[in-house]
Amino acid sequence: MGIPRFLNVWGTHQFWVGFFNALGVGKVVFSSETSEEQYRTYGKGRITMDSCFPVKALAGHIGELLYKDINLLFLPMIYSLPSFLKGHVMDTLSCTRVFMSVENIKAGFLREGNVFEERGIKMVSPFVPFAEAELLPKYLWTSLKEVIPGLTLEETGRAVKEGFKALESFEKRMREKSLEVVRWCAKNNRPAILVLARPYHMDPGIGHEIDGEFQVYGYPVLWYNYLPLDDWLLDWLFGKEIREGIIKSPFDISDVWTSSYSSNTNEIIWGAKFATRLPWITGVIRLSSYECGMDQPTFTPVQKIVEGSGTLFFKFGELDETKPAGSVKIRVETIVYYLEKYSEDIIEKKLRRLPPLPEKLFL
Amino acid sequence: METKEVHYKAYKPRPFTKEERPSTTILFGGLTWKHERLIQGSLERVGYKSQPLPNIERQDLDIGKEFIDVGACCPTTFTAGNLARTLTTLKEKEGEQTLKDRYIFVTIGSCGPCRFGQYHESYERVLEGLNLRDFRLFLLDLLRMEQSAPGGGLEISMPLTFGLVYSMFYGDLITDMEYAVRPYEVKEGQTDRVVEESIEVLYEALKKRPIKGKKLDSLLWHVFTDYFADALKEVRKLWDEVEVDRLRVKPRVKITGEFWLQTHEGDGNYNIKRWLEREGAEVIPPPVAVWMDYLINMELFKLEDAKGFVKKYYTKKFAIQTIAYLYRRVYDKLREALNNIPNPLPDQRKLKELARPYFHYRLAGGEGHMLIGKALYAYKNKQAHMICELSPYGCLPNTMSIGAMAKVLGDYPDLLYAPIEIKGDAEVHAYSRCQMILTEAKRRAREEFEEVLEKTGLTVEEIRDFEEKHPKIKRATYKVPHYGYAGTASNYVMHIAKLMGRG
Repeated sequence: MGIPRFLNVWGTHQFWVGFFNALGVGKVVFSSETSEEQYRTYGKGRITMDSCFPVKALAGHIGELLYKDINLLFLPMIYSLPSFLKGHVMDTLSCTRVFMSVENIKAGFLREGNVFEERGIKMVSPFVPFAEAELLPKYLWTSLKEVIPGLTLEETGRAVKEGFKALESFEKRMREKSLEVVRWCAKNNRPAILVLARPYHMDPGIGHEIDGEFQVYGYPVLWYNYLPLDDWLLDWLFGKEIREGIIKSPFDISDVWTSSYSSNTNEIIWGAKFATRLPWITGVIRLSSYECGMDQPTFTPVQKIVEGSGTLFFKFGELDETKPAGSVKIRVETIVYYLEKYSEDIIEKKLRRLPPLPEKLFL
Repeated sequence: METKEVHYKAYKPRPFTKEERPSTTILFGGLTWKHERLIQGSLERVGYKSQPLPNIERQDLDIGKEFIDVGACCPTTFTAGNLARTLTTLKEKEGEQTLKDRYIFVTIGSCGPCRFGQYHESYERVLEGLNLRDFRLFLLDLLRMEQSAPGGGLEISMPLTFGLVYSMFYGDLITDMEYAVRPYEVKEGQTDRVVEESIEVLYEALKKRPIKGKKLDSLLWHVFTDYFADALKEVRKLWDEVEVDRLRVKPRVKITGEFWLQTHEGDGNYNIKRWLEREGAEVIPPPVAVWMDYLINMELFKLEDAKGFVKKYYTKKFAIQTIAYLYRRVYDKLREALNNIPNPLPDQRKLKELARPYFHYRLAGGEGHMLIGKALYAYKNKQAHMICELSPYGCLPNTMSIGAMAKVLGDYPDLLYAPIEIKGDAEVHAYSRCQMILTEAKRRAREEFEEVLEKTGLTVEEIRDFEEKHPKIKRATYKVPHYGYAGTASNYVMHIAKLMGRG
């Protein structure tokens, strides 16, 4: 089974590993991380429209998998996502381009003949609504029974449960790691950086490893999608506003963002709110790809949310296929200058706005 | 460094009260001037003063870019710029306080995953940019029959909702008439004059419409009344007077695309429909009603997928099917009042099935699978010689279905398809792309026409003679059946042949 390492597979890959393991699929092979070489070698001539690079890069991933030892190619159309904000927001949908990308890029491999068949590979592209728990197994089963003989709906349902278990377990570990970082910052009174992006900006070929540049300077980096969600921590950060009736729960973003349909957007907005409150996040780095229509309406609100608390905000926008290494380096140097100059002051002022430090921060 | 804490808050308009209603003007926009004038009539009937935003102009694109975040799609930029221009003008003319107290702006939000659901964020940037955060902007949900905005001044009741639905239907039907007639009008400019007169007649009909019932009784009255069809029968008399020459051989070009851009008539899409007509085409405009039909049917398709998981499945299915049926029935009844010259609504299930090998119907956002379905429907049913799909620069869903069309074109290489990216400031480029496909469409229309002449053995002179003896067939309201040809002239020749007993 080959799965491209693309778009929302970045946030759900552990689900797919758990799911296919439970179904007894022999081996799951992911494509490599995105790279210019991959895109040019395998994606050339397959793009049928102009779009953001994360979508176009899918052509390179599919093309690469055609040359791997696989007999099934799995291209999930992930319509909605599992999200810790579910129940607190209007919906948890993927970006339109993200969930439509498979139909779009697939066309480039099918328009002049069926390249998949020519390579002896069966291709399935199920509709995947993670937010519709009852329907998810049905949609997966409807597609997969065509390529996995004898597969039943019940088996698929059980595998979905295993997939969610694997995903939850992975996310729990990641959030624990983030809490470790927060604790280290608290104990040492050291600043950290929070990255606000889309999950696929973790792909070095999409996010261009900009977060790593800050680690070189000794700044721990947290990602918005794996922040710690421990009750005691969230109560420390959001409790006062809940008690004052400004928000209903720590996960309520309606005070700053009303059209909360998009899962990634909602989590970015929530991450921004978290950053304004956690004292040791002194700088927020926003990553955004060229022509990202989901990010576009959020630019001003996110910046204002973050800067409203005095936290430093920097945006690397219009990211595309080529890594702008020189300009990234210069900007990182500048940002680091500001972080060094102002972090201590920011931590102190943010701490003053909060109740006394929780003991659990120093365990 | 000063690190004063200022918590950012989402925009929340001041309440708009019932007491303010008589002295407050509702600003709205986003459709054609015809639809907007009719909506005005519907609103006035239930006690609202209203004013459509001025027509979109090229300058709105530049104004919009000054206010909203970089990277917006062109409909967002144009409409945000249009709002900014309007508010600036009103502020200059009437003063800031009057603008804040006596005007509100109402817009629609829905859709979810697409940016359409977040347009209001851009409008809020406009208010911030103009230092008018106190100005009231209300967001209504497209899919709710009844709703109200904070303060109770803006109440969307059933009678108002149905008034708005009829405004939409009327606007669509007159637009269909307009584009079916203008390319063939004998007296230049007559169609445009009749369109204006028709809209005024219908505006008055909506403004004077009876308000019957509040809930279910209101629904039943609006579905079964003849009031709205009768108004259209009056309008038909205006169209009866328009003489057309259907022997003009023209390629029929079906317009599809992103909702705002395909519906729009103005600088926002380079006035491309008028340009196509000047270039010798007959345009098939996209009715707003198709999109609403799509939204209703999507609920049905989703429900069908969930069979076995939802309670009262059959009751719910029956309810949605009934709504879909009544929606279509009302539209058809109105079409009939215009002798069925306006096009029928396409069968949404057919669109879904046609698009299925290329685009999953659950991938909802923008027009979803419908654009592929429409292109194939028009091609397979010989509705048009060519599809012109208007795609806004930066549109999220539209670019995706355009990409998926690559496989459709691989399977149907004969399908003439012109996807035109509209940025708002690259007119020549768009015209040039469209022109390339249009040239081939013209050739096909001519070939088809000659084929019909040959098949029927008729000559143009014989048809002219027949027309002289039967002048009623030259009326714009005379219905020529579809004989399986895309072109109006070809179907017309075949029809004459049938009438002459030679077909």
